[in-house]
Parts: sequence; structure tokens; C-alpha cells
Amino acid sequence: MPSVFTKSLRDQKWQIVGFGIALAVIGALDVFIWPAYRDALQNLQVPPALQAFLGSDLSIATGPGFLSSEFFSWTPILLIVYAVMQGTGAIAGEEGSGTLDLLLSQPVARRDVLVQKVAATCLGSVLMVTIGAAGFFVSVPFVDINVTLRAITMAMANMLPITLLFFALSLWLGSMAPSRGVAAGGAIGVVTAAYFVNTLANGVQALDSLKYASPFYYYGAGLPLVNGISWPHVVLLLGLAAMFVMLALHAFERRDVATGGGDIDVLGALRLRRGARLRGG
Amino acid sequence: MRPMAMTGRQRPAIELSSVVKDYGRTRALAGIDLHVEPGRIFGFLGPNGAGKTTTIRILLDLIRPTAGTARVLGFDCQRQSIEVRRRVGYVPGDLRMYESMRAGEFLDFIDSFRPARRDAAFRAALLERLALDPARRIRVLSKGNRQKLGLIQALMHRPELLVLDEPTSGLDPLVQEEVSRLLEEAVADGRSVFLSSHALSEVERVCQSVGIIRQGEIAAVEDVARLKARSMHVVEVTFAAPPPSRLFDLPGVRVVRVDGSTVHLQAHDGIDALVKAIATQRVLDLRTEQPSLEDIFLAYYTETPAAPAPLYEERPAHA
Repeated sequence: MPSVFTKSLRDQKWQIVGFGIALAVIGALDVFIWPAYRDALQNLQVPPALQAFLGSDLSIATGPGFLSSEFFSWTPILLIVYAVMQGTGAIAGEEGSGTLDLLLSQPVARRDVLVQKVAATCLGSVLMVTIGAAGFFVSVPFVDINVTLRAITMAMANMLPITLLFFALSLWLGSMAPSRGVAAGGAIGVVTAAYFVNTLANGVQALDSLKYASPFYYYGAGLPLVNGISWPHVVLLLGLAAMFVMLALHAFERRDVATGGGDIDVLGALRLRRGARLRGG
Repeated sequence: MRPMAMTGRQRPAIELSSVVKDYGRTRALAGIDLHVEPGRIFGFLGPNGAGKTTTIRILLDLIRPTAGTARVLGFDCQRQSIEVRRRVGYVPGDLRMYESMRAGEFLDFIDSFRPARRDAAFRAALLERLALDPARRIRVLSKGNRQKLGLIQALMHRPELLVLDEPTSGLDPLVQEEVSRLLEEAVADGRSVFLSSHALSEVERVCQSVGIIRQGEIAAVEDVARLKARSMHVVEVTFAAPPPSRLFDLPGVRVVRVDGSTVHLQAHDGIDALVKAIATQRVLDLRTEQPSLEDIFLAYYTETPAAPAPLYEERPAHA
């Protein structure tokens, strides 16, 4: 029964288009400004963290190096913002706005609701990345940047696993947290810590092994724009994503749905509970 | 003798046995037993916080009971919850719908879960009768119009059981009348209605049976007609001259107040003996009030400090 899927996809259409266009514009601008930067970058002293991200054999003064550092090193954050919005909105958001009551009172299993919402966001991410890739497809052929469209396609696709991982994490948090705000706060905290840990580990030798704890390492370490997709890393990220979806499903199927109210938060829930006790009802 | 017994439906609309629901250390339902016959409008009456919504949300498997079992139309509310929800139309007490959708889009969305039961003509008739424009966005609908939309989405697939949590709140009296008619039609069609309310007048007007819930327990389940027949009558009579002091010394009759030759009375066991006593005097004016569920309801809540003040000043007879 695809109605939840259809509605979910329709609800996020402007996010998909908006974030997709943002990616496309940033990508095309990076490509078009590359000739102007090429010579200046030859003698640039690259910060160690950035060079670590690029690896020892890639210079920022090459086309792939420039795009890797100027685009692919940080644009996953845009996709992850979308992922956290979708992940926390799927359950916690609907619960907070009170619409989950009517949805789950229909003859549809909670599992189906969740699976359809996950499917919608998977497709939404693909569409967003596709729109984003279009920015390269209209710029790369006109600029001497030494990057193939095949490499661009691979690198764009490589942003999906980490996006879906943080989506699944947000979904799981949203299936347990008392409100969307709490879930989003938790998810953003994890994203920030993961990004920071990866950057720090890249720059500081002593912390090198910490990088394995960050999903961003598995996203960027293979340098997908140069070497293509690193399948073990993709499998790891998607495996973790699948695990969080299963955890979300497990939590969601077993728990009570809170009554709507838009502002049911931790304090509100406690107040309600205390009020109920005072009334004895 | 109930005409509904002839519809042939054997399964109870709702069957709760020893249903307990705890929220942390708070006990919301303290072991509820309830048997609701099919083909009737059953009123579930109680003040806010008594456990009405909790009970209803257990029926729809939105929350799970701590103990006990709930069945709807013979199906277990947890293990067969999809079968239950396929047959139930539900209006939540806190009705929230997708604000950005148009009313008609929302109905399409709800319809998509029961494609086999889609009935465009019936849906259009409901929109017409409740005077709701399906092209309007939910965001701009008034509270009353939202409530209408909630009712339409519950009614339009002709469910076997309608579960309505405070369904007419926010509706003006004319629309309330139309909703009552819709519910009566549903029952005439062999369907069942389970309606929660804290508005006694509504239950009194619409329902055939009533269950009273207080503090997570069922205080009483009664036939509304019987409840009213058995309940107190309020009588105000004005005589040509002050009546003899022992005139109302009758079983079940209480003098509430005497203002000269006007006497305010309550009759608790029928009104026959009182009428005959009154008739022995010259009467200038006589008024009796229809016993309202409000009074009956208050009787169940007399020991609750939060209960509203009585309508009449209490005074023992012949004081």
C-alpha cells in the first residue's frame, strides 16, 4: 500500500528540489571558478587537516583535489541536514504534531508506515543527489578541470550511504525520544562529534586511530573522486544504516504513541503525568 | 426488549476485560470490564482525566494495556489490530490532521488505506450534509470545520464501529443535530457507535446506553432510558395557600425549599405519590423538570470534592 510512501515523498519535494539545486549551484560554481584558482593554488600552504583529508598523493592544485576539498569534503553535511529533518520527522515529528494518531488508526501496520517512509527518503536522497550532479554535468564539459563525469557520478553517489546512515540514526532516535527536538538535538550532536573526530584524527597523529570511529572517515577516506567508490566502506555505512532502521522499527512497534499536542516535550510529559496523579485519574 | 437484538450480529462491539493501563507509576485504568452490544450508540461518560481517551486508544492499538484484553468486533485489539482498524472509524479527541493538505486530499489519503470501501457518492453526500468545502486547506479550517472533516473521514467508509472521542466539541448546535442524525442512521444500518463525552446533554440526547468512568474505573453501565426513569424528578409547585407541613412526608420525596406557598421538591422513586399528594390541594402552578443526566451523573460523583455545586440548596425535609 504505497499511500504513505507517496505522501511522504510529496511532503519533502521542496526540500529535495531546494537542497538539490543548492548542491548543483555550489558544484557548478566550484567548477567554473577552478581556472581562476588553479595558478594561485600552486603555491598554497594547505592546512594539515585538509591535506590529510586529501591524502598524501593528491594536491589541492589539481582538479580532483580542488573539488574534493571545496565540494565533497563538506557537502554531505547539507544532505545530512535533510536526513536529520526526515529521520526525526518520520515518527517523532508526526507524533509531536499529533497526526500520528489518525495515521496509525488506519488499517496499516506500523512496520509498513516506517518502511514506506524510509523508502521515500531513500528515493528523495537519490533525487537530490541527481539534481546536485546536474550542476557538474552542465559545467565540467566546458572547463579544463581533469575530472570525468563518471568520476563525478561515483563521488555524488558516494554521498548517499552516509546520508542514509544519519537518516536511520535520526529515525531511531525519533522512535524513542519524547519529542522531535530531543531526537534532532541528539542526531546533530552525533553528526557534529563524528565530523570533528574525523577532522581531528586526520590532523593529529596521536589520535589517528580515532578516525575509525567516525562515519566521515568511511565516507571520504577512499577519495572517491579519484579512486571510485570504496565498496567495503559503502557496505559498512549501509549496514549500520540498516541496523538503525531495524532498531527504530523495534522501538516503534513496541511503544505507546503519545497523544498529539504539538508541544509534548519532556517537561510537558512530566507535568501531564503529575497532573494525572493529582487528579488520581 | 431491544430492537437491535434482531439485527443478528452476535459479536459484541467492544469487550474489555480487566484492562489495566499504567503510565509509569500513574494508574490510568484500574482494571476495566466493559461489554458494549452492537447496533447501539454507547456513551462513554466521564470527566477529563478519568481514562476515556486511554481506553479508546487501547482499542486502536495506539497504546498497549499493562494487563487485560480488549476485543473489538471479536478481534483482539493487539494481535489483530489491523483487522480491528479495518472495521473502525475513529475521531481522536485531540484531532490533528495534515495542515498543508486540502480537505479533499486528506480524505483521499485516508481512503487509500481501504481502497475496497471507497464510496465517492457517500463521501460527497457527507460533505454536502455537513457543509464542508473539500477544496479548502486544513490550515485555514475553523475548529468546527476540522471536527466535521474528522467525522467525515471516520464515517465515509461505513465502518462497523465508530469510535468517537468527544466528537461534537466545537460544533454549533445545528451541526450537532446533523451529526446525531448521521450516527442514528449508522446505527439503523446495523453499525455501532462508541462515543466518549464529558457533555451529559450530548450523551443524553444521542446515546442509548451509557458507561460512566471515573478515576480509571467503570462506575456504572446503564440504559439511558432506565437511568432517567429511575432518577430524580425536580418539582416546583405553587399552591393557593401554604400547604400542610406533613403533606410531603412521603417515601423518596424531599422538600428542598419552601418560599411561602411555593415548594421545591425532589422525587427519587417515581413521581406518582407526589402528584397525588399535590392534587389534594388547590394548585396555582406546577413545573417539573426532566431529570437530566447531569443530576444522575452528580450522584455518582457526590464524594468527589471537585464536583460542581448542587443546583438546589440541600435541606432535610420538614426542617
